[in-house]
Amino acid sequence: MTKKRKHQEDFQKVKLKVGKKKPRLENATDTNFKTKAIYLPEQLKEDGILPTNNRKLNIKDLLSQMHHYSAGVKQSALLGLKELLSQYPFIIDAHLSNILSEVAAVFTDKDSGVRVAAIRLLQFLAPKIRAEQIAPFFPLVSAHLSSAMTHISEGIQEDSLKVLDILLGEYPILLTNRCSMLLKNFVELISHQQLSKNLKSREKISWMLSVNPNRRVTSQQWRLNVLIRLKKFLQALVDGSSGSEDDEGIQEQKENSQFMRNSVCISWKEHASNQQHIQLYENGGSQPRIDSAFRLRSLVSVTDSMEKGLSSAENLKGFIEIIIPLLIECWTEASPAQLAAPILGNLLEPESQQLMQQVLSIIYLLWKLTKQHDETHKMEAWLRMNYLVDFKHHFMRHFPYSLQETIKHKKRDPYKSTKYYMTSSNSVDHLLLNLTLCDIMVSLASASTLQMDSDWLDMIRKFVTETLQDGCRLNCKQLNRLLGVTWRLMQIQRNKVATETLIKAVYILYQQRNLLFPVRMLLLKFFSRVYQKEELSSQKIRSRSKVLSRWLAGLPQQLALLGSRKPELSKQLIETIHSAASHSNKEFLQSLQATASRIYDPVDGTLVLLPAESQKRLVQLVYFLPCLPTDLLSSLSRCCIMGRMSSDLAATLIGILRMRSSFAGWKCQVQDSSVNDVDYFSFLFSTLTGFSKEELTSLQSIKGKPHISQTQLSPVHLYLTDLDQFLHHWAVTEVVCHSLSTIPSRSQCFDILQNGICKYLVGLAVIPDSTAGSVLCAMSKLLDQACILSENLHKFLASCCYSLLYFLLTLDKEDAEHARKRDMLWGSCISVLALVPRVFRLMLQSLQVSRACREELPVIGQLLRLLMQHGQLRSHMVTSELLVQQIVKDIMTLKSGEVQEQWLTDLHYCFNIYLATHPQGPGAISTEY
Amino acid sequence: MAAPMEVALVTDAAGLLSNCSVWELHSGSALPGYRGGNSGARGLALLGGEHLLGAQLGKGYISVWELQRKDQLQQKIICPGLVTCLTASPNGLYILAGIAESIYLWEVSSGNLLAILNRHYQDLTCLCFTDDSSHFLSGGKDCLVLVWNLYSTLQVEHSQIPEPRHVWSRHSLPITDLCCGFGGPLARAATSSLDQTVKLWEISSGELLLSVLFDVGIMAVTLDLSEYHMFCGGMDGSIFQVDLCAWPVQRDRAFHSERENGKIFKGHRNQVTCLSVSTDGSLLLSGSHDETVRLWDIQSKQCLRTVNHKGPVTNAFITLAPANMFNPDSKPSVPLPKFSKHLHGTESSEDQGAEGVTLRLGLHQQVVGESYLEKADRLYSQMCLTREKNLMGDQEQLKIQVTELEDEISTLRKINKNLFDFSARIITKSAK
Repeated sequence: MTKKRKHQEDFQKVKLKVGKKKPRLENATDTNFKTKAIYLPEQLKEDGILPTNNRKLNIKDLLSQMHHYSAGVKQSALLGLKELLSQYPFIIDAHLSNILSEVAAVFTDKDSGVRVAAIRLLQFLAPKIRAEQIAPFFPLVSAHLSSAMTHISEGIQEDSLKVLDILLGEYPILLTNRCSMLLKNFVELISHQQLSKNLKSREKISWMLSVNPNRRVTSQQWRLNVLIRLKKFLQALVDGSSGSEDDEGIQEQKENSQFMRNSVCISWKEHASNQQHIQLYENGGSQPRIDSAFRLRSLVSVTDSMEKGLSSAENLKGFIEIIIPLLIECWTEASPAQLAAPILGNLLEPESQQLMQQVLSIIYLLWKLTKQHDETHKMEAWLRMNYLVDFKHHFMRHFPYSLQETIKHKKRDPYKSTKYYMTSSNSVDHLLLNLTLCDIMVSLASASTLQMDSDWLDMIRKFVTETLQDGCRLNCKQLNRLLGVTWRLMQIQRNKVATETLIKAVYILYQQRNLLFPVRMLLLKFFSRVYQKEELSSQKIRSRSKVLSRWLAGLPQQLALLGSRKPELSKQLIETIHSAASHSNKEFLQSLQATASRIYDPVDGTLVLLPAESQKRLVQLVYFLPCLPTDLLSSLSRCCIMGRMSSDLAATLIGILRMRSSFAGWKCQVQDSSVNDVDYFSFLFSTLTGFSKEELTSLQSIKGKPHISQTQLSPVHLYLTDLDQFLHHWAVTEVVCHSLSTIPSRSQCFDILQNGICKYLVGLAVIPDSTAGSVLCAMSKLLDQACILSENLHKFLASCCYSLLYFLLTLDKEDAEHARKRDMLWGSCISVLALVPRVFRLMLQSLQVSRACREELPVIGQLLRLLMQHGQLRSHMVTSELLVQQIVKDIMTLKSGEVQEQWLTDLHYCFNIYLATHPQGPGAISTEY
Repeated sequence: MAAPMEVALVTDAAGLLSNCSVWELHSGSALPGYRGGNSGARGLALLGGEHLLGAQLGKGYISVWELQRKDQLQQKIICPGLVTCLTASPNGLYILAGIAESIYLWEVSSGNLLAILNRHYQDLTCLCFTDDSSHFLSGGKDCLVLVWNLYSTLQVEHSQIPEPRHVWSRHSLPITDLCCGFGGPLARAATSSLDQTVKLWEISSGELLLSVLFDVGIMAVTLDLSEYHMFCGGMDGSIFQVDLCAWPVQRDRAFHSERENGKIFKGHRNQVTCLSVSTDGSLLLSGSHDETVRLWDIQSKQCLRTVNHKGPVTNAFITLAPANMFNPDSKPSVPLPKFSKHLHGTESSEDQGAEGVTLRLGLHQQVVGESYLEKADRLYSQMCLTREKNLMGDQEQLKIQVTELEDEISTLRKINKNLFDFSARIITKSAK
């Protein structure tokens, strides 16, 4: 039965029926999957095969294709190269020399498509190759560039400028090293040589502007293109040779930056702790000079080491001789003289204006280059002799150039017009042109040639004055140029009338209310430079400019008004104020004195608002104030103690006041009594106290545990200050104590201090702990045999001491904030107690234990024990042994009947050892607790 | 005595016992002091090893002693104002005094006031010569330090204001002391200021080499002779030692805190006003407002000796004792002339004609026809001429010259003969 059933289960017959689906077999293969092919676009890199691009060409193939005769192949090779290199940047490093030599070779390719591809490739490559990497190949690249520039076909010439742009953008220094060759190319691009007819001056070759009708662009456009490049190139040359030196306008003088570079600044603390070392070298310098530019063999120009480009004066002269006639020709073509009659205002077309701008900028850059040579005067004389007449004739005839209305141009090509006239509403763009012209012309004039040049100098001066007067819309760069011209004009013409009008014009601009910050800064620098110049020149005959002194007198006011809004501006102001004050300019000092109370206001004065660096200068300025009245000193004292100045700075201030007081000088010397002795003392005392009278009275009402520490045995309650405040106060206290201790008549000084304490502190119920500590510290520093303390003071000191000691002993060990006060306060208490036995005795007398509540007993016991352990105090205790005995006995009686605690046994032990047996032996046991 | 003896010259503001007390540096034995008045700060100077100058404190004159006669004032140089600082050139030819804002320059040999330099804006505080007397430095309360070339200040015409060679304006509070190192115009100079910095400069280029910022104002600075250390006296009475030639090798020493103490001399209770190092660089002399002068051993920073004075110390310096100081019979080689109060060029010119000995350049142009520069030019051209001749004058040149001379002789002879013939003819004619 069972067997049969099993059999049936194993071999069950599947019954297939018509109309029903055939069930799936269990072992049927599922065939509904799809396959996809895997492509491997990249090969494994490890094996020797070089990586290839999409068309499976590796670098070698591509480079060899560059020599193919077909332009299409070459172009595709360049494109492939770009693709390949962007995929595998490491190839660039490995094959740099091959790539560069091949790519550079096709700069001069006949097919424009190839050139475009080559330029694109270069554009892609240039940012990836560093200047050091390309430097060894640069002679090759530049040779190809040069041959492209001088190529006979115009298309190649035009494209060569694009190559130049790229190279100039990435490798300006490398390119300027080869300037002799390139400059010649530039000249040849826009002109051709012409042998002069007469044979005598065979060497003197004159150059003519060339006109080539075959070009795609007009020759004027072409010239503009070339000139723009030339200007860029010269700019790079100027930048490279003058290093970081800025425009000569109003910038900082070069020397200053040099000073900063070479000198070593060290703070004493670090030197003393051996963190900083000083090493001076034999021949003067504080640093060995390693950044020498000398090279045995110039990397770039191996062959033509003889010619030095424009760095030699002769070459520069030669180039100027060639280029300036050309430039003048360009100018005359573009200038409005071509229009029938000189129109009023000399309106300019934008294109020609562009060209003129380029011409002038090139001349300006050339002038700058001439100034870098040693014999500047000779050079200037030479320039003046050769070109002044031409320039006057061509440039100055229609001098203040202005721009034609640009509305119609805007319609014609909106793109261009927006590009050019974005910044300006048709009145400012021409300014650059005019300013460049002014720059050029003014540098041709000098003080000695003033009479001859007065006509055109007057024109320039008029222009500058007018521009300055309505110059509120000038931007920073324009103003810089303008001020540069102004400065130069003032240098040329030294008489007072001429400079005064110029300064006045600048001053009118300065007085504008809503100037941008950098503009304001520039004006400020300009004025301070003018001021310094005047200080130097008119030392004896103080023929000061009125405008300038008005400006100077307004400075403190401005500083006070400025507050904390513009710290940089304030810094600059303070610099100028400082130098004027140190030069003891009388009018200025008066105005400074008048605003001093606002600058040094403790609440919202400039001093407390500015950052630390400026604060330092302001504190130093205190030295130069002609007199320091009482209210100023009191606000200075508030500044010191309020903690908005660092404690170092407060120390500096106290030191400066000490120098100003009559105690720093020699006894017999006649002192100008700028600081009253009384004021000086009250300054020191209020700084020592650390809290104003109002603050102290408001403290009296504070009650409660977290802020107040009080004991029943002393009338003085302590207000617990923050740790920061405490530390600041303590640092100031030490300086004040030192100042007090240097005053020659010690006992009088002490009397004054004593009076102050009696008057202001004695009788207060709540005293800040820092103040109590400071008073004790000052006492201990100042006391000597000659001083007599009043009874009141004795009592006050005794109760202060006890309060402080009680506070220290009840201090929670874990309370990190107050724990740091411990050493300082303990030290000052102990030293006062040791110095004045009477205070000690009074303190012991005040320990009337019978009245004390029981909680205080352990503290008193501990205190007595610690005091006994102190060697000097012990001897005082011996003299008042009965008193101590009484106290100990009182404690015993109060404590009797209970279990002997640890502190009690300790006290007992100490008392027995130190006092009961009159020991002589053990000296100073450490006062650790 | 094998080693040269060093003495310390100290003055204080009280001047009770003597104006300037002198003691031997190593033994401390006091020598007789110079009497009369009291000298002001930075107002004591040795002139040429023969005279001692002291600018009086609070009075407008300079007292002059001959070094060997200590109890007697030799001369008083009356000045137009309070003398705030004084120095004499190391070669003993010039005296500089700072009076208010101006520097007065006297020539010692003639007593003439050669120049008054007005470039400071406030009172001067210190003056200092380089060791070759070619340059001098001046520091003032206007925070400026000026470097002057002595000879170019003398050569300038009257109409022009002499220009300093460098203007150092990087201090921000009054200059308190100057110290000039060794090496003439190539030396380094240290300046200290109330602005809590000491700066080290190079005189030749005018560059700032080093600036050290302290916690207190610095009142005095000095360099030792080898310029290994710079000593700076602070307002709080401590003296800081700055090592100028330290190698960073020492970095990993364990005793940092001890080393820090090892660079401060502690002992003075008030501001240090003057510092001086002995020639062997082992001893440091310091004077302070706390009315003491202390002598320190530099190596160990220990105070060797403390001398109490009655007033704040105004000057204290160490110098090699001049021979005249101990020989009572010696006399200055040249007696000091009377120092004039007025600028030399403005005096009447006849006066100057009378004294033809002065060797000043430039100022003499009105009297002598041509300036020394022109003379020098002429001399130079003459020298060049002869030299050129020499160069060209080989044998040929010599021969040419000889023949020329022979020609000349022959012509002379011819003339002589003609003369003789002529006169003979006349004589014989008359005889007939």
